Amino acid sequence: MNNAPKPYGIIAEFRTAADILHAAEKVRDAGYQKWDVFTPFPVHGMDRAMGLKNSKVGWFAFLGGVAGYTTGMLMIWFMNALDYPLVVGGKPMFSPFYAFPPSYELTILFGAFGSLFGMLFLNRLPRLYHPLLKNRRFALVTHDRFFLVIECADPKYSEAQARKLLEEAGSRHIEMVED
Amino acid sequence: MKKSMSTPLDLSRWRKVPLLLTAGGGLVALLGLLVNREQFAFSWLLAFMFFLSLSAGALFLVMAHHLFDAGWSVPLRRFLEHLANLFPWLAVLFVPIALLAPTLYQWMSLDPHLDHALHAKQPLFTRPMFYAVAAICFGVWIFLSNRLRHWSLEQDRSGAALPTHRMRFYSCVGIFLFAITLTLAAIMWMKALQHQWFSTMYGVYYFAGSVWMTLGTAYLITLVLDRQGVLTDTLHDHQYYFLGSLLFAFTVFYAYIHFSQYFIIWNGNMPEETFWYVLREKGTWWWVGMVIIFGHFFLPFLALLRIDVKSMFGFMAPLCGWTWLMHYLDLSFNIMPVKHPDGFVLHWIDLGCWAFMAGLLTMIFLREYGKHPPYPLKDPRLVEAMGFAHPIPTQISGGELDECDDTPAVHPEVQGGRQ
Repeated sequence: MNNAPKPYGIIAEFRTAADILHAAEKVRDAGYQKWDVFTPFPVHGMDRAMGLKNSKVGWFAFLGGVAGYTTGMLMIWFMNALDYPLVVGGKPMFSPFYAFPPSYELTILFGAFGSLFGMLFLNRLPRLYHPLLKNRRFALVTHDRFFLVIECADPKYSEAQARKLLEEAGSRHIEMVED
Repeated sequence: MKKSMSTPLDLSRWRKVPLLLTAGGGLVALLGLLVNREQFAFSWLLAFMFFLSLSAGALFLVMAHHLFDAGWSVPLRRFLEHLANLFPWLAVLFVPIALLAPTLYQWMSLDPHLDHALHAKQPLFTRPMFYAVAAICFGVWIFLSNRLRHWSLEQDRSGAALPTHRMRFYSCVGIFLFAITLTLAAIMWMKALQHQWFSTMYGVYYFAGSVWMTLGTAYLITLVLDRQGVLTDTLHDHQYYFLGSLLFAFTVFYAYIHFSQYFIIWNGNMPEETFWYVLREKGTWWWVGMVIIFGHFFLPFLALLRIDVKSMFGFMAPLCGWTWLMHYLDLSFNIMPVKHPDGFVLHWIDLGCWAFMAGLLTMIFLREYGKHPPYPLKDPRLVEAMGFAHPIPTQISGGELDECDDTPAVHPEVQGGRQ
């Protein structure tokens, strides 16, 4: 039985936001895919430095909104015009005008659901355990240190090359993280 | 700073177009006045309200710039100031409306003792008040736009902080005066065509459509000035994105206002309110209403949803032109059913009046733009518009260090100034 822990990835520590930004540019240009950056606060320009594309959450919000609007209209039409026709104020049994405010509310509600659950889905959350939580130095990420992690699962990953790249990028402290 | 787009366009062929429009349109309008006075009055009013939108929208954007202490819109402020300074000329163009008012406004020839709707609107709906309102509106607009441009040009010379404080002052006072006068103008000049009607949304409705169309215009003007290399050095990626986002916001705002107006009247279902929309659902006006719902709202709304399209020029330029068409149709929907209850008519006098004003105002705008620096040269926030951070807190920025969307090390020469 092999109890030796599997490596998760290689973690590099940086001292300043500018350092990690340039490190991210180098890792991006080296062609890695499964890697991430951890900073105590948002660093402007990091999206571009990491080569991140526009988030797909917008599509979940849009589809949620369309679903909400349709649900609202269908619900009101079904209740007032089909299942239990009721004349109110001499108005038609169904009109998109009076059905609009509730449908609009549902558009917003479902749109918000779409963005929240879409975000959770794309981030693979909730997740109770992460290998990085075992790393003691990583706790400094909530204080004043910046970390860059390249996962072993990356197709281009080789420990020697990744370590060399991160050293060249200016990291003073590099170590392996176990799964 | 962004890179220049490509070689400037050769616009020399277009140089004579404004003059031709003025002369040709002026002749057609004059002929219209002689042949069909009533149609001329309505056509002139429609064209006038259209171009009033542009100056009102520009004045609002200038004041909003100062009120929000914005940085990104500094390079665009100068041409907006010139657009707002067309108000004295619009006051001249108002003269035919003032003279033909009895032809346009039925209430002027009614006895308030016999007409309850008119009696309820005393003393606003009296002839002296009609002219007083016009004088007050133009007085306020000319004063505000003149002062805002005066101090802006003053800062080009002195580079002092005082002009910024003055412009803020005029914007703070001005935004209230602007809201009141624009509402009065929309009520007295457009809504009063059917004086029996009332809607508290009406001023905001005209405002929303006006700023929407002005934003489309501002996008196009920025695009042309960027292409010609006039503004290129002062622009950053975010100007187009912010203009597109504002256009998107006002697309929704306009729809919200117009829907609310319709919804409340539809729900209340009272004849003294519904008659306004009943008239506008007859004949081809029904289809104009549909075009407004889908073309003024749904098309730009869905088109502008994506974050990246706001900076795609091939996509945005036609959309900005579309705002002109839609706003014109929207104003026609407000004004023309009184004259043509059976359906939409595009009269040749409409085109003449529009062409005359378009040509005249373009000539004045270009002359004014050419006379002064193309953007506020010494505005303390110009550096932010270019995408750089303030190296040190300034008096104007209120001591904040402003963030920019670029990384510090991208512009080492600027960051080197940090103390």
